[in-house]
Amino acid sequence: MIVKEWCMYCGECAGVCPRCLIEVGETSITFDESSCKDCKICVQVCPVRALKNRN
Amino acid sequence: MFIETDVLVVGAGPAGSSAAKHAALNGAKVLMVEKKSEIGAPKRCAEGVSKDGLINLGIEPSSRWVASEIDGVRLVSPGGIDAWLTKDTVKLPEMGYVVERKVFDKFMAMDAARAGADTMIKTLAKGLEKREDHVLVKAERMGEEIEIKTKIVIGADGPESRVGRWGGLKTTVKPKNMESGAQFEMVGIEMENPNALEFYFGSVAPGGYAWIFPKGNDIANVGLGVRSTLTEKSAYEHLLDFVKTCSATKNATAVELNIGGNPVGGIIKKISTDRILVVGDAAGMVNPLTGGGIISGMQGGLIAGEIAAAAIKEGNTSEKRLSEYDKRCEKEIGNLFNKYMKSRDYLGSLSDEELDLIAKAFNKTEFERISTAELLKVLVKVSPKALLKLGTLF
Repeated sequence: MIVKEWCMYCGECAGVCPRCLIEVGETSITFDESSCKDCKICVQVCPVRALKNRN
Repeated sequence: MFIETDVLVVGAGPAGSSAAKHAALNGAKVLMVEKKSEIGAPKRCAEGVSKDGLINLGIEPSSRWVASEIDGVRLVSPGGIDAWLTKDTVKLPEMGYVVERKVFDKFMAMDAARAGADTMIKTLAKGLEKREDHVLVKAERMGEEIEIKTKIVIGADGPESRVGRWGGLKTTVKPKNMESGAQFEMVGIEMENPNALEFYFGSVAPGGYAWIFPKGNDIANVGLGVRSTLTEKSAYEHLLDFVKTCSATKNATAVELNIGGNPVGGIIKKISTDRILVVGDAAGMVNPLTGGGIISGMQGGLIAGEIAAAAIKEGNTSEKRLSEYDKRCEKEIGNLFNKYMKSRDYLGSLSDEELDLIAKAFNKTEFERISTAELLKVLVKVSPKALLKLGTLF
């Protein structure tokens, strides 16, 4: 997952991730990409379009 | 570092602090961890609370976190037809406050601390393991690994809720139930009534609504929530469009941007299991129609704290013992949520023209009080279509 620099770490993506693969810290966001099935729900809900799929 | 406690609360928002406070008041040893360096900031919220809600929780309003007092509501239809519910037109307008969450949340955390709960900030929960009679939680603070052995975990970790899922609860929010929010705090707002909350409906915010919540002088939270399944634009893009066209904000300047998800699918089916409870946004304790969740989250926190402490005293933290929590929350918080969800879906199905017609009819109606239930009662009175869809509910 490509995270744009304007990500505000609100965590909305983590809440909708069906596999619970996103960890959001105060100013960090980590994706466990090895288990990601590329559903893109996280990309779709982001209020500021800060996420972009690698593919 | 190794820590042993009775109750671990993950997340120091209002729901977490309420849970920590009431668990401590009822005799439990409590630790609350918060991943951020400052409790309450950045806010992800329009900051409205009802007076009744605070009274029921036994919380005295403080001038340090009350930004403004609200005694009215203005509902604006897509065509600009507005309905005012203010102290001049409503018999019982008693309503609420817009608060400063940055101060409010910290106050609530201080309440919890004074009740005896320990707090660790800048501490991120990383995972948990359920054992025979306890839970082992891994956390990290400023590079230091921390292991916490606890009898009960209360997940108050917001809409991202990972604690519940680690513990086996299905707290994942479906995209259709996650309202995507964006808000500016603005200065230079021009409102007709600075003590009324303003709500804007229709295509301005598909699946949700836009709001202006005044915070005193010429300051206000201006935001909106949309459901991403119903629009191609992001919440932020919708917000930019809104502030450009809305007459109250066209000369205003943004001094803060807030974003975040709001789970509006109602309380999730199961909010407790062996040694794990979830509260607040993590449990879906949000009014599905208004998106309001401060008071309901704190109510949930109060119930969770009481039950967790009681269960520990009894030496029984099983799923069966904790299921009392699900029952009480359903009864005390969620009893109207299903109706509100149906109303939300109904309002979301209306065209801009239909909303204009409803606004016109609202203008000619007298209201007893300002509440969601009262508004919906009037809605089924003035709209034959609403009566058909919702008539049996209200």
